Amino acid sequence: MDFGSFLKAPEIKVRVITYRDIFQDKAMIENRFGEEYRDRSAVIKLDPADLKQLSIKKGDTVVLKNSFGTIVVKAEESGYEPSHRGIAYMPNSPWSNMLVSDETGGTGVPKFKDISVTVTNAKGEKVTEIGL
Amino acid sequence: MLCDDIEVESEKNIVNKVYTACRVGVAHMKEGRDSAVFRVDNKPVDEATAISEAAAILKNAKNPLIFGLGTSTNETQKLAIELAKKTNATLDDTSSFCLGRVVEALLQNRFKTCTLDDVRNKADVTIFWGADPSDSHPRHLSKHSYFPRGTEKQRGWEEERTAIAIDVRKSHTAKICGNYFFQIPPGGDAEFIDALIAALSGKLPKTSYNFPPKRILELANILKGAKFGVVFVGLGLIYSLENLEPLLRLMDTLNEKANFHLIPMVGHYNMRGFNENLFEETGYVNSVKFEDGSVKHGPEYSIVESLKAKTVDAALIIGSDPLSSLPRSVAKNLLEIPVISLDPCETLTSRNAKVYINTAISGVESGGSATRMDGIKVDFKPVVETNRLSDEAVLKKIMEAL
Repeated sequence: MDFGSFLKAPEIKVRVITYRDIFQDKAMIENRFGEEYRDRSAVIKLDPADLKQLSIKKGDTVVLKNSFGTIVVKAEESGYEPSHRGIAYMPNSPWSNMLVSDETGGTGVPKFKDISVTVTNAKGEKVTEIGL
Repeated sequence: MLCDDIEVESEKNIVNKVYTACRVGVAHMKEGRDSAVFRVDNKPVDEATAISEAAAILKNAKNPLIFGLGTSTNETQKLAIELAKKTNATLDDTSSFCLGRVVEALLQNRFKTCTLDDVRNKADVTIFWGADPSDSHPRHLSKHSYFPRGTEKQRGWEEERTAIAIDVRKSHTAKICGNYFFQIPPGGDAEFIDALIAALSGKLPKTSYNFPPKRILELANILKGAKFGVVFVGLGLIYSLENLEPLLRLMDTLNEKANFHLIPMVGHYNMRGFNENLFEETGYVNSVKFEDGSVKHGPEYSIVESLKAKTVDAALIIGSDPLSSLPRSVAKNLLEIPVISLDPCETLTSRNAKVYINTAISGVESGGSATRMDGIKVDFKPVVETNRLSDEAVLKKIMEAL
């Protein structure tokens, strides 16, 4: 019997910072509904220690969740030094925007670059499609 | 970035080869291949039906939203302002949730600025703050801000230029800056500004995140020695500041000690044009509502707040894809109102629009003028012919139909 299946999947909280990526931008211009754009957008870059805590390998999918949305994206190692546990990075895209809060304090400016989410192992679930 | 030195080879109105452009530029130049598409309720229609349906939507709306225009020419933007007046519309562009407030302050002469040509010819110290041109504006560094030999900078980056990156992560631009990369924690920009001002004023720089004071003092010394300094301001910095006050204070202090200019790292090729054109007409750069000859302004007229409060009852979206680029929690309200989408390519917004017209790509299939991030006007001509209408031509037709 697989006792692991009775254990609650580890969950961590991270703050997601979004950024621009030229390869992803180019893929968007070519086809924003295409595979390349999805592969380059639906990605979260985590600290290796966070990947370990989630008991996942790079390339596995994870569920990102907050009160604004839930999406499945691929997890990768950030490659950034020094260690940045609890902070993760995503290219700015319709995927990251599914998690952005609508709270603006009346300023008209959402917090696109500061998104709080919980991360769990998606157990092989496929990456979310952007359709409505 | 409105690069004016792109060369292409084309055959039968299809661009085959692109020279000089960056990765994004090449994709953009090769983008236009489709023939004209007019759709109402996702069914193909003829041009006249699409135009009259679009006009009817605007006519029947009490408070339509006109949004986008960052990738439209100045001529199109001016027409859109006229259309907004005629239809008592709310008018906004992406600058309301990105760099609009910096451009507004520039137009109000609250920052000293310069052109990218000045940067190329004279700049000895450049700061990329919350900006990563290597990814967002790939030729910025090579054409203007770091690598070129300028008239007064013949020895180039190896000897005569210092590039500094201040960012929350080691971006590609930060890598180029080498030892002059200052990594700060997310949201730590305002404190870093205060610490830098202290250091520039000969005081001990302190931050709650214990940034090594020695390094801030080292940075202040470089900045004090600048003969022609430039701060390139990106979204990373602006999203981190509640208002521009710390940045205004920093620029004032820098100009007491040295000579510093500010240029916003405007993303869309003609966002600054929109800001300038609207400013000229109304005194505001975005987020306005026209009402029987008068104009109101405030964040409540931004796309985000208008959609949140559901104050707009139709939308004309020009060259923009808010269903992708806005928080889904806000953009979903677009699905409840009739949307007209004018865009060269299929987007989530165009797929969910009541009326969709695929327009010509400016700079490739249609011409006009646009305003670069530094305020310089650039004229451009189409390089290939298309049967698709420019957004300017579509707006003219909608105006006539009204």
